[in-house]
Amino acid sequence: MKSKRIPALLVTIAMALLVASPLAAQLKSPDDVKTALRLLVQVSNDFKRQITNKNFARVPHENMEYMEAAEALRGAVKDEPAAFKGKVETRLKAALAAYQKISDMSATTPDADKLMAEHAKAVTAMNALFDLFPADLRPDPNTPPGGRGRGPAPATN
Amino acid sequence: MLALFLGCGPKPKAEPQVVDLYIASDGDFLDFVPDTLTCRTGARVCLTFHHAGKIISARHDWVLTYPGKLDALTKDCLDLDGILAQDDPLVIARTPLCDKGQTVMVEFTAPRPGDYPFVCATHPEDMRGVLHVTS
Repeated sequence: MKSKRIPALLVTIAMALLVASPLAAQLKSPDDVKTALRLLVQVSNDFKRQITNKNFARVPHENMEYMEAAEALRGAVKDEPAAFKGKVETRLKAALAAYQKISDMSATTPDADKLMAEHAKAVTAMNALFDLFPADLRPDPNTPPGGRGRGPAPATN
Repeated sequence: MLALFLGCGPKPKAEPQVVDLYIASDGDFLDFVPDTLTCRTGARVCLTFHHAGKIISARHDWVLTYPGKLDALTKDCLDLDGILAQDDPLVIARTPLCDKGQTVMVEFTAPRPGDYPFVCATHPEDMRGVLHVTS
């Protein structure tokens, strides 16, 4: 009797996971979602670079670009079920607030260490957003965009 | 007689080869597509750059520098927030900065043979490539 219950439980859990997190094939616009998530990471990395280079005046511009990427994500999920859209919106707002905080701090507290600490929190918020999407659509928020578009390094440089 | 006549005249100056090169941003991503270009030395190059972005408002351009000067140019770009001086000695040729969806052009004479790095002045650490100038 007990042995019959375990498979049934596993099936129930699997079904629940499928409902909670739509697979890539079930998303209406997986390519648009993938693009938007990649752009969020790209801009997040630019935040980090501007902070590292102490180019604090540039940070608010990066925040504007982050909002543009966020808008692209909203567009990419606009035809998804309301429950899923609601989850995305909640976590997206949390990520946006975290990056907005960095932007605000760059003007009031231009301290690279403090800004980097806030950036780490923002990446965590972005990770929580990415967790809602299938793994094959998710970029790694901690991976810098190195290797893309670099081309062969000039031998003399 | 005709051959003698033709052979004796002043040698006509060869017109420089004209080469059309096309390059674009990888949509909104920070890449050039393609990231390698090729032309012959002395050619008149007409380069067209298209900003293929549709989402992010970042501006891009195409800036060619000398072999061995990539790091120096990158530093200039970062220090000057992508707004290089008109007479920057590190720059061989460059297009104007452009917004998403726009296309810009630049003409220049291909320098002597070598591998010449190019960047986007506003994203010099990501958007990079090489112009191979052949003999």
